Amino acid sequence: MNKKKILLVEDEKVLMETVTLRLEANGYEVISAYDGFKGLEKAKKEKPDLIILDLMLPKMDGYKVCGLLKADTRYNKIPIIMFTARAQESDKKMGKEMGADAYITKPFEPQALLEKISELLRNEK
Amino acid sequence: MKNKTKTKISKIKSMTDYKGLENKYKDPTYKYRFLSYLMNHIPDVIYFKDTEGRFVMVNQTHAKCQGLKPEDLIGKTDTDLFPKKRAEMITKDDLYVMKTGKPIIDKIESAVRGDGTYNYVSTTKVPMCDDKGKIIGLMGITRDITRRIRFEHLKEEKARMEKKLETLEELNKMKSEFVSAVSHELRTPLAIIKDVIMLLIDGIVGPIKEKQKDLLMKAKDNIARLNNIIDELLDISRIESGKIKMHYSLINFNDLLMDSSVFFKKLAEEKDIDLGYNLPRSQINIFIDAERINQVIANLINNAIKFTEQNGKIKVEVKIFETKVRVGIIDTGIGIAKQDLPKIFNKFVQLSTRFQAERKGIGLGLSIAKELVEKNGGEIWVESELGVGTKFYFTLPRFYTDKVLSKDIRDKINNLLEKNIPVYLINLLIVNYTEFKKRLNIEPRKLFEDLRAVIEETFKRFCYAGRKELQIVLQDYAGGELGILFSKIKEEEATKFCNLVKDRIKKYFTKNRLENVFINLGVLSYPSKFHAITTQQFLANVSIKKICIGSEIRHFSRIPYRIDIEILLPGNQIESSQTIDISEGGVCLMTKRKLATDAQIQTKLKLPKEKEPLCFRARVAWIKYIEEVSEIGADKYRLGLEFINLKNRDKKIISKFIKSISPSIHKSMGSFAR
Repeated sequence: MNKKKILLVEDEKVLMETVTLRLEANGYEVISAYDGFKGLEKAKKEKPDLIILDLMLPKMDGYKVCGLLKADTRYNKIPIIMFTARAQESDKKMGKEMGADAYITKPFEPQALLEKISELLRNEK
Repeated sequence: MKNKTKTKISKIKSMTDYKGLENKYKDPTYKYRFLSYLMNHIPDVIYFKDTEGRFVMVNQTHAKCQGLKPEDLIGKTDTDLFPKKRAEMITKDDLYVMKTGKPIIDKIESAVRGDGTYNYVSTTKVPMCDDKGKIIGLMGITRDITRRIRFEHLKEEKARMEKKLETLEELNKMKSEFVSAVSHELRTPLAIIKDVIMLLIDGIVGPIKEKQKDLLMKAKDNIARLNNIIDELLDISRIESGKIKMHYSLINFNDLLMDSSVFFKKLAEEKDIDLGYNLPRSQINIFIDAERINQVIANLINNAIKFTEQNGKIKVEVKIFETKVRVGIIDTGIGIAKQDLPKIFNKFVQLSTRFQAERKGIGLGLSIAKELVEKNGGEIWVESELGVGTKFYFTLPRFYTDKVLSKDIRDKINNLLEKNIPVYLINLLIVNYTEFKKRLNIEPRKLFEDLRAVIEETFKRFCYAGRKELQIVLQDYAGGELGILFSKIKEEEATKFCNLVKDRIKKYFTKNRLENVFINLGVLSYPSKFHAITTQQFLANVSIKKICIGSEIRHFSRIPYRIDIEILLPGNQIESSQTIDISEGGVCLMTKRKLATDAQIQTKLKLPKEKEPLCFRARVAWIKYIEEVSEIGADKYRLGLEFINLKNRDKKIISKFIKSISPSIHKSMGSFAR
């Protein structure tokens, strides 16, 4: 069976490291991008099975990346998890409007993140 | 008529005959008399001085101010009357006027009065000349303008205070924003620390020893604690800055409680506490912000677990009342000291006993809970005894959506609400359907088809250009309900539409020889407590109307009405009060005593026209603490009393009385439920 490919777009280097370690330990392949622009580029080039997208990103924020991907029929099937320190209702709403499939608030329970990922990947099939 | 006009004209003529008047008063003695009249009655100080500054003439007011007679002042100077400094200033002005020949007009000065108080005066000084133009003295008028100046000062003060308040509000806003920004910024590093620790704990980066894991778990617990504090700070800053928004949806309240019960039961079990839920059997749907109310419930249950010792008991109960749902979280914990009870819902509260044992958090939880409950249109209160236990109660308004709304409708409404589409739900409900069916000579299925057709036809006629389509969302032949959902229209349009539907349904029934059909159209109303903004928000998104067909009203209407009522308090004390409103199910009144929730008391209700007062038992359903307004007024509570075991005779008397005071209830627009 092929390893599922997850694109992680996150500008916090340590968080990038820890989440990558955890995802890899759980059998996923992780590709990373540190800003929104790179994230968008890699999403288009690598066509990951799932994207974890931070909201506050340099160059292009998560909303925009999410909106652009979801507006493109070639990529709109890729599930997106919004990943952020914001927990305000309005942000959640905006994330949903942009087409995000799930929303995980920092600090997060690693288990919750893993469950969300496998749930979205299952739906994908 | 003619005569009258004539006399009027002649009157005017005589009045305008000023030439005669002029002649009459030409005599110089008159002029003198007028002037002296003016001098002696004007409330201003008037004086004439010679070049030496000696008074040559003063008026009554001036003399009175000095406690003298006018003639006593002649020949005196200001040095004789005023302190040296003031006299010098006056002389300086006098000299200026007399030397330059220029007047001083409206010079405002403050001066000390004879009685020591300050006053403000406006002085005007004019030089006086003889026939040759040589200055021979001056004339002055001084007017007391203390009142005017004080008023101006007050106005300035007010403006200053307003500005200050504005600055304070601005500061408060900045503080809230600061707290919000800081808490927000704290989250990211906290998330990183947590994730690093979790990686270690989970052994993803290599095995760790049990002792190491233990320590890391402790670190993790404290991160959770820190995170809670940040959440609370964020919440309170959002509440304070008014940024918090409620997201109402229709919630099955039992489900909401059961969802979190597993988690809390586990938590209680760890401490050997018995956590039990006592929920009503009937389903109850209410309009609330589920996430926020969950937060309140979680806070109260967490507190209860925290402050209850091993083998203690915690009960979560839900009671349904006429207009409210009441939730109680009752524990057998350590309790709260009497002196702490009033401040328990304050921000950053430091309690003498309760929190000393285990002081976690920053004491914001309950004040957040209070804000959230109130934002949802409810009230929260506490009863406690040290060493015995604590009871927290809160209420939520009921909108009579119980039973009426099936999960199907709820989903549909929530679906529309989520998309920000305002909806209107008209619910047609046949009250006493079982009875009704017996009198019906058509198949229930057919009846509903007919009703549906009636509504659809009405709607078609009602809809002029471009109106959205109508959705029949519920057809319950067995239960006698029909729900119609459509996108929101203006309130008056909806009322019009409801009235039309009602009329047509009435016609339909009369046509089918079913008489005595009572159709009531009710608008759901909201507790007055509901914040204006909240109400607007709520109303902006969903409106519910109910049309009831049947022979009786199902729910009690509460009618604002004052009647004398006596309540018998423990220790045989009697408190007299007046009702605020009354219904067939109970009364609402003000009392000075804080009664316990669910306490049963004896009451006497003095209905007008009844010789004997009605005596009955009642139960305290809800309590609302009214903050002291007047200085002498003691604490006041608004009590909701529910009648229990009313005798049939009394029931009849009360219902007759209510009918007599509610003339509109059987007409079309009577408020159906509150």
